[in-house]
Amino acid sequence: MVEGGLLILAFAAPFFLLVGLFPSYLRALTRMGHLAEDAHKNPPTKVPMPAGPLLFAGLVVGEVAVAVGFRTLVPVAVAAGAGVAFAIGLFDDLYVLGGKTKPLLLFFAGLAFVSLAVLQPTLYRADIYFPILGDTAPHFIIYTILAVVAFPVVANAFNMMDAFNGEISWFALLTSLALLVGVMLRTLFQSGFSVSRMASVLPLVGVAGAFLFYNRYPSKAFDGDSGSLMFGAAFAGLAVTGGVEIAAIIAIVPAILNSFYTLSSVRGFVERRKIARPTYVGDDGLLHASMEEDAPNTLVRLVLLTSSMTEVELVTSIVALTAVACVFSVATSVLTWVF
Amino acid sequence: MKLFPLYMIELVAFLLIILETYVFFTFVVPLGPIPHSLTDYTALALLKMLLIFALGALWFIVLDGLTRLYVRTRVRSAPRPSS
Repeated sequence: MVEGGLLILAFAAPFFLLVGLFPSYLRALTRMGHLAEDAHKNPPTKVPMPAGPLLFAGLVVGEVAVAVGFRTLVPVAVAAGAGVAFAIGLFDDLYVLGGKTKPLLLFFAGLAFVSLAVLQPTLYRADIYFPILGDTAPHFIIYTILAVVAFPVVANAFNMMDAFNGEISWFALLTSLALLVGVMLRTLFQSGFSVSRMASVLPLVGVAGAFLFYNRYPSKAFDGDSGSLMFGAAFAGLAVTGGVEIAAIIAIVPAILNSFYTLSSVRGFVERRKIARPTYVGDDGLLHASMEEDAPNTLVRLVLLTSSMTEVELVTSIVALTAVACVFSVATSVLTWVF
Repeated sequence: MKLFPLYMIELVAFLLIILETYVFFTFVVPLGPIPHSLTDYTALALLKMLLIFALGALWFIVLDGLTRLYVRTRVRSAPRPSS
């Protein structure tokens, strides 16, 4: 009964806090002149940014409630990793970091997360569970290195899914729901697995859900790098503490497809001036894919290659792709924990 | 249905994970004789890690290859502007 109440609180506290505070926070951002251009509108409009600080505050409130209620460091570690990523993102929002500096600094988010394993050795298990066939032998050092590396990779993947109205909020909400289902199945089907790990996912669901109200088309708020990096780092931390790494990878396949763009950029680094733009806004006001064969294969370009679209149609397509990936993620969790 | 090819790429990503899991547990995990010295143990551990990274790399290469194939097909079938 108490656990049920804590689970509701873990979701409801950040959700209603953000829904309640967003209007006054956005007014304050507007008063201070923190506005970003929404480049895909004709004519371009100004939108308050960054919403990251409020989103992080909401996440902290939820995770603290779980930490106090369940007496565990799991949510503290998640908040610590997300907090470092948030701070790096906020610095980037205000002063702009170099293209290589940001990913390198994000390793500190992973280090902040794993360092708490000193205080609570059960923070994460050093084995990986695979669908149907079970788990690997535990390798603490290898797993810890992989966990640290996961933070910059996943945080950047989320950051790159933050280009259009509602894209990042839908992506964070759907992937965190897939993560929640995975951890819930593990809690139900593996004896001794603490409910607190499932509870730790709920603040992320609450924050993403509340943000969707203000970020969906037409956006009233942009999260900035402080928000998108925080979402990614929290997702990575929760996948590790929940022990649902494989399902988490499947859920973010659209972001992985999007990140092939990075590989294209790396390959084209020497001749980067020759890299064509992946998409463009046509005279008809629609978004079009570049037909240059060497243009980077961003997810947006892959979708626009099906047909030219409005921004709403594009985001709807990306949401549909994310939803399908999350269905496969849930199937992975079922194959891992039920069979 | 316009997104069908992209859904298929996601399905391949999912199925490859299942297939590679089978390969991992069937061939990689039981690999080699039981090591009797630290050198043998280290060599076997490194070999297994190499194979695991190869499986991971294969996943990326297949997905990247499918993405490129999709893009090439779309670009070549797109109507050309008349000059």
